[in-house]
Amino acid sequence: MSSDSSSSSSSGDDSAEINPNSDSKPVDERLDSSTLVEPVELEPSNHRGNGDGVANGSVNREGLNSGDEDGDRILVENQEVFGEEGPSSPGSSGYAGERGSSSATSGSGIDDASEIDDSEIQVVRNEGSLEGISDSPASTRVPGKRHVDEDDASMSWRKRKKHFFILSHSGKPIYSRYGDEHKLAGFSATLQAIISVVENGGDRVKFVKAGKHQVVFLVKGPIYLVCISCTEEPFESLKGQLELIYGQMILILTKSINRCFEKNPKFDMTPLLGGTDVVFSSLIHSFNWNPATFLHAYTCLPLAYATRQAAGAILQDVADSGVLFAILMCEHKVISLVGAQKASLHPDDMLLLSNFVMSTESFRTSESFSPICLPRYNPMAFLYAYVHFLDVDTYLMLLTTSSDAFYHLKDCRIRIETVLLKSSVLSEVQRSMIDGGMRVEDLPLDPLPRAGSSPHLGQQILPTDSLERPREPFIGIGGPAGLWHFIYRSIYLDQYVSSEFSPPLNNPKQQKGLYRAYQRLYASMRDKGIGPHKTQFRRDENYVLLCWVTPDFELYAAFDPLADKALAIKTCNRVCQWVKDVENEIFLQGASPFSW
Amino acid sequence: MGLAFNGTGSEGMRLCIFDLRRGQNEGHEIDKILFFFPADLPFTTQLSVIGLSEGLITFTRIFSPEAACEVIEAERHSHVFYEAEPDIWMIMIVEKSKELEAVWRIDALRELLKEIHSLFMMFHGSIRVLLDKEPSGGLTRAHLYPFIMDYLRDFLVGKKLQLPSFRDCLKGRRTVQMLTVGREAAIEVQTLVKILESCGGSTPCSSLILFQDLLVSTTLSPEDTVNLFTYAVLRLTPHALSSGARSWTYLHKGNSSSNVATESTFAPSGSFSEQFYGSEDISCAGDNRYRVTRPLQHDKWFRGKDGFLITDICGVDVGSSYITSPTVWLQQTGERMYLCAYQYKSLTLILLIPLSSIVNEEQGVSIVKQQLRENASLKILKVEEKLSKGWGGENAYHVSGYRYLLVDGNRDISRASPPAKVTTLTKESLLALNRLREEVDSEKSRAKWDNPGRNKDLEVCIRAKNNAWAVARITRGKELYMVLEKANETLFYASDAVEKFSNRYCSGAFSLD
Repeated sequence: MSSDSSSSSSSGDDSAEINPNSDSKPVDERLDSSTLVEPVELEPSNHRGNGDGVANGSVNREGLNSGDEDGDRILVENQEVFGEEGPSSPGSSGYAGERGSSSATSGSGIDDASEIDDSEIQVVRNEGSLEGISDSPASTRVPGKRHVDEDDASMSWRKRKKHFFILSHSGKPIYSRYGDEHKLAGFSATLQAIISVVENGGDRVKFVKAGKHQVVFLVKGPIYLVCISCTEEPFESLKGQLELIYGQMILILTKSINRCFEKNPKFDMTPLLGGTDVVFSSLIHSFNWNPATFLHAYTCLPLAYATRQAAGAILQDVADSGVLFAILMCEHKVISLVGAQKASLHPDDMLLLSNFVMSTESFRTSESFSPICLPRYNPMAFLYAYVHFLDVDTYLMLLTTSSDAFYHLKDCRIRIETVLLKSSVLSEVQRSMIDGGMRVEDLPLDPLPRAGSSPHLGQQILPTDSLERPREPFIGIGGPAGLWHFIYRSIYLDQYVSSEFSPPLNNPKQQKGLYRAYQRLYASMRDKGIGPHKTQFRRDENYVLLCWVTPDFELYAAFDPLADKALAIKTCNRVCQWVKDVENEIFLQGASPFSW
Repeated sequence: MGLAFNGTGSEGMRLCIFDLRRGQNEGHEIDKILFFFPADLPFTTQLSVIGLSEGLITFTRIFSPEAACEVIEAERHSHVFYEAEPDIWMIMIVEKSKELEAVWRIDALRELLKEIHSLFMMFHGSIRVLLDKEPSGGLTRAHLYPFIMDYLRDFLVGKKLQLPSFRDCLKGRRTVQMLTVGREAAIEVQTLVKILESCGGSTPCSSLILFQDLLVSTTLSPEDTVNLFTYAVLRLTPHALSSGARSWTYLHKGNSSSNVATESTFAPSGSFSEQFYGSEDISCAGDNRYRVTRPLQHDKWFRGKDGFLITDICGVDVGSSYITSPTVWLQQTGERMYLCAYQYKSLTLILLIPLSSIVNEEQGVSIVKQQLRENASLKILKVEEKLSKGWGGENAYHVSGYRYLLVDGNRDISRASPPAKVTTLTKESLLALNRLREEVDSEKSRAKWDNPGRNKDLEVCIRAKNNAWAVARITRGKELYMVLEKANETLFYASDAVEKFSNRYCSGAFSLD
């Protein structure tokens, strides 16, 4: 790509687009160019300093030459170039170092173990949380691309349960979940041929079915995305996942990448995405454990109303000073967020942004200022994200349109951090992480007393009450009436709350299975032709599933397959009541900018 | 002359059969094509359809060697695949028009392909055997072309092919519909079956008895029963005979080859495809290269004065003294049988006489016929009377408030609400059930791969947007599909309704709670 893009950008910035893979020289050049970059003179905490990652103690947990990559990230000088020559600049946010990092980690054998079931959900968590999925975001997984040694001739590759490919319309591979893209050039050309043969017939291929396998195609201008899967997910879900992968790519590069293909159909995009394997594999992994990927809603960390208010107030302060969005998150859960007037943030954009931040190791090591694009907000333009981790799980993201706002945002962050510490929001966040979310075992038999809002999701009601509650019998068998799990989605808030996993759903395979069942239920409830259904009851050998869609909310609940129908329905009503009782703690209320 | 439908009316559908083992060398690709509809499409177009299909079969086998491509869903077309015999593929491409009517179930379309192939096998044997018999492929094409065109003609409405759509979601193709028979009548039927069996003398005959369009008894395997039952309902029952006569508006007797060309729904096709498919040879007139019977040709069955059905599907004039009986292959035994049908009022008897037991066809068959007349006439009268008395009419199996389809997959039997009652349902309800059936189809197919031999157990109740309930229940190989309109909104109401239905009409097969 270097020749192509360098021809199109101003001389000083050329280096930024140089193929990150071509080692030393580009790095030097980049360093040269970086003298023009404002953040270069950042304090040591920004490990930008010419390979002086040392200043940061550990530049990167992976101990890689991340000096380059992070340098890239904060390289924001060429804003105009973005506008004009969009694709050339994204190179400046390429992650040369991480490409290295991914291959390094992939050598580490751990991934092989985690790969047995294609994408096991990782339950490992340092906080001692037992909940598994909902508390096990991708960051706990071995990041990066795996099985690079495979290609389409290997049996192991063919037997992978779920492949994802990105290729260009000329058939050039851009990304493959498994195997080395370069070795998959022939296979990639086959995919391209299928798409174009159907296209030549005046049609557009959506999917192909063969036995347990489904091949799903998505064409986005010059970018083709393909999923080959033998999981039980329906077409609609897989297509949604391809849309998200495309969105993730746009988040890194903006849609102006299309112009490169207009100029040169054989344009090679791989260098632009260099090092971002880890971002894609983390997103793909989240399809297994994060309901946000199919619900198109976000979830909040449970917090006392006042605590969230306090966080919101300080974010609002900052937003008034020219920040487009201020988002405070803990792992994939929102603590609070505010937006400038009339600006609205789509849940998918939040998902992609938080995935990007959480999966990119270097964000954790220092404050960063990185160009990103929110595909639902404006797919053509970059915004600038100031990202800072306040602790291991909690991070602040300040988004702006201005490329030179770094110092301003840094000041904002310092103010926010101070307030959060003073108001003990951060310690509340830590406590909430340990306490976890709603548990089916805690489902109250009677509506909670409205007045005395309980400390944590109504778990500790009056002592007498808790004695009466027959908690014991439910241990190991879920909640009352065989309730195993539920997800409640508030339509107008665009938020959902998902109960923690409890026994008997204790292993990752069961949990993933349930999410897939939810996905099927979700797809089944909304057929394009006939509009959403109202209620669905579904019983098979694994579960009783109940879905209830109203104009205000959607409820998805899973019960023991032998659950009594009448009791299950009654229990669903109680779940809805319970959610309403604690809605101030589990949802972000009155987020005014959410006006879509 | 040719058999192609008017191009304009049928561009919504393409159907082709090809053999992956043929035409491997460059320049000979055309050898692969055994059938293509519409035949007047340029060969380059035909080959591109086959090229894409072949490509996807190869491609999908990389990941799924045990099951290659089953369907391609594109924005404007669905391509339905069916591997009828090893390496012999049938592909149906249907166009999705903008109107909502073009919504179907892929499995229902595949059942159509299965039906075509099973019926073809019943009359002509396997395609592979035909190809082996004459490697040029001419013989196979000459058989397939008229056969499938005759079959498709049943779906012509005006000039358009009307394939099974969501409106047929309460129908079970490739299953048999049975008549419920009282105890007394059952005993009479049993006696009749015994008599029929002995009509062949030393070799027992197989038989099928139908009342109206419903099966009363069979001595054949389930698969053969389905095939013969399907054929009977298409061409032999009183209903089939009369409806054929109605639709046949322009019939030239005496010149069997020209009446094909002049029929209003057919148009002359391009001459090159005629040669290719040998469509000039489709009649049975003696001067042809291939002698091809056309068992699905319309209005080729007549009821003779003696009650036996006579046919000229072999091209012999009805008036001629020598009337041949068509033959069929049984799937289960691989045996070839003469097909002999007798009709009395609403009763249709199908007698299958092993070819091996008869030396001289004309003589042998007429002896059997005579036996039947002498030994069974009285019993036939009695059975017809009994069944007519017990017969509840067209709406006999209507259950008020319910629109249902009940399928017993173990025995290939189904029962459904009368079509006239199903049409009272709103489009939304039918679409909801059609979609639900698609989901069940894919669950069933997944279960087939995951746990072969184990039956899926599933219960789904959906309250659709229009407040109708769409219900599916699968248990122990039995399936129940139901639409309840104007029903109460509670789930209890729906499951209670299913429960009642199950207890009353399915001996509690679906009563699980």
